[in-house]
Amino acid sequence: MKKLLSLLLIAAMVLSLAACGTTNAGNNSDGKGIAKEDLKIGFIHISDPSDMGYTYNHDLGTWAMVEKLGLKEEQIINKYNIGEDEGCATAIDELIEAGCQIIFATSFGHGDYMKEAAKNNPSIQFCHATGDAAVTAELSNFQNYFTSIYEARYLAGIAAGMKLKELNETKLGYVAAFECAEVVSGLTAFYLGARSVKPDVTMDVIYTNSWHDPIVEAQVAQTLIDGGCKVISQHSDSTAPATTAAANGVFQVGYNADMIPAAPTASLISARSDWSIYLIFAVESILEGKDIPTDWCQGLSEGAVYLSPLNTDIAAPGTQEAIDEAAKKIKSGDLHVFAGPLKGKGYNWGTEGSIEVKEGEWFEESKEKSAPYWYYIIDGVNVLGK
Amino acid sequence: MTDIINFLFAAVLAACPLLLGTLGETLTEKSGNLNLGVEGMMFMGGIAGLAGSYYYERSAAEPAAWVSVTIALVCAFLCAALGAFIYSVLTITLRANQNVTGLALTIFGAGFGNFFGEFIGNSTGGYVSVSQATKAGFNDPLFPFLSNIPVVGKLLFSYNFMVYLSLAIAIFMWYFLACTRKGLNLRAVGERHASADAAGINVTLYKYLATCIGGGITGLGGLYIVMNSSNGVGGVWVHNCIGGYGWLSVALVIFATWHPARAILCALAFGTLSVMRFYFPSRIIPISLYEILPYLATVIVLITVSLRKKRENQPPASLGLAYFREDR
Repeated sequence: MKKLLSLLLIAAMVLSLAACGTTNAGNNSDGKGIAKEDLKIGFIHISDPSDMGYTYNHDLGTWAMVEKLGLKEEQIINKYNIGEDEGCATAIDELIEAGCQIIFATSFGHGDYMKEAAKNNPSIQFCHATGDAAVTAELSNFQNYFTSIYEARYLAGIAAGMKLKELNETKLGYVAAFECAEVVSGLTAFYLGARSVKPDVTMDVIYTNSWHDPIVEAQVAQTLIDGGCKVISQHSDSTAPATTAAANGVFQVGYNADMIPAAPTASLISARSDWSIYLIFAVESILEGKDIPTDWCQGLSEGAVYLSPLNTDIAAPGTQEAIDEAAKKIKSGDLHVFAGPLKGKGYNWGTEGSIEVKEGEWFEESKEKSAPYWYYIIDGVNVLGK
Repeated sequence: MTDIINFLFAAVLAACPLLLGTLGETLTEKSGNLNLGVEGMMFMGGIAGLAGSYYYERSAAEPAAWVSVTIALVCAFLCAALGAFIYSVLTITLRANQNVTGLALTIFGAGFGNFFGEFIGNSTGGYVSVSQATKAGFNDPLFPFLSNIPVVGKLLFSYNFMVYLSLAIAIFMWYFLACTRKGLNLRAVGERHASADAAGINVTLYKYLATCIGGGITGLGGLYIVMNSSNGVGGVWVHNCIGGYGWLSVALVIFATWHPARAILCALAFGTLSVMRFYFPSRIIPISLYEILPYLATVIVLITVSLRKKRENQPPASLGLAYFREDR
């Protein structure tokens, strides 16, 4: 009798769980959209906003979106410090359980878990920043997004080039995270920007092999400076390269955050993304029941990338004018960042390749898919170590 | 030639926080306490030092760099010692499990550091950053006149004061443990606390003092990482900036076989291996393999030390055990 009773109880629990599962799922596929007050938005972040870098910048976008769309704070569920491992799947499950109709994940390695969850939850939208799997996944509820940060990098490179010109030096340094397209696209754009105003410039690159390791970032910055680099930039999360530059009396160009408060005597300018442009667009789409494009990438023209204010106390004279002029040309389409002649070869997460862009032609970055796919090291860029 | 000098210079800078962490933990372990919370205490020391210096600069009309540096040192030491004190109360007085308590201290300290770092950052609207003068105080050469001598100047006299301070602590600690009566007492406590107790040594007092002072010294290592600009984050709070140096220190104690003077060499070897891949990049060895060199070296040393089983290289015999007088 007891056994029967417990079996019955178990069956009842299982059924009630299943019932919860069905009522929780949002529904967007009927094209009707969702009432604003019913909306719940989930975020998977690899770090938390106190990194003052990538996550901080993305989080700013979240709150700008909340304000613009008039949402309430409790409609946002943030999952911070989610690694690129099984923990990500758990976090996604928790967000689904909490009733999120749209889930954003911000790091490349979250992609596989997002794709898997998108397959199993067709009524929920999954948007993955920096990833490149959506175009081949053929799932209507799995999207990739990125900004044309290379445009802002190019402009930031101009500030670096102008500074080198003023100092009469030729060497740039770059603290790079990993050997992959996202990083190489950025560093190449930065280098090309500098080269556009200082043709004889060269750039040393050292990989830290981590998105966020402040001590190694400082060590790498110090190595670059010891090697004669007078302006350094970075694709890494912390302000350590900026403070290292300041201590050594050289200059720095930042990423993701305005780093001038951390290193007022060294930080010239920073290239930044404004993620709110996409977040507003995606959330509005789901509210109205519209489809979100599989790949989304916007840049300077739409305000999705921009530069933090120039540090006029230390920047070379004429820098702002040079940047403004190039920005105008990029917006009008007269200037292409990856314009030929360019020749290089490189490596990206397991694939190797080479490229030659002829004089008068240009490479279209982020056109086929939103994530960058320029991963070629060009002449003038020296990667130290392999 | 400049390359090699720059490399050796960077290696010493990289070794310094490890040395401080190792020394603090060596002193702690000599009393028989295995405190795995070094990482946490480094976080606590780092944030407390930064905050002390930051608030002093904000409140003083004309902040002086040396006062700011001193306040940072004192705050870092005291806050990390407080962490060690919590550990001591739990493990010495309440006889809780040392490993578990140490791990809890690591988690607590990391949260403590990141929480207050973020809290102060938010209250100022961005970064917590100390002034240029304080940054210079932590980074400028201690002997600016001597540092201009070619080669020798850079290699011997151009380090910041914390490098010399850590060397002084190492040498003093070696002298203290090897040549003083109190050092002998402390070693006795770590080897056999019951015998030490029978000999009239105040076991509890020795354990408390060694653990708290050791904790304070590791806190200085955390402060170094927060304040140093070529092997740290340069006077700004950066999320998770300690980055595993506490754990490395725990390993280095074994690497150095509980010997403060040997710790200098071991920390230096570790520092050298950790910056080597930047200064001598290799096109043949893959970066990932190059990166594990310091850890590989640790593993090899651990194996050789445990194979040789020399008596003077063994851990304190009571390491990890709680002492209860009535329990025999």
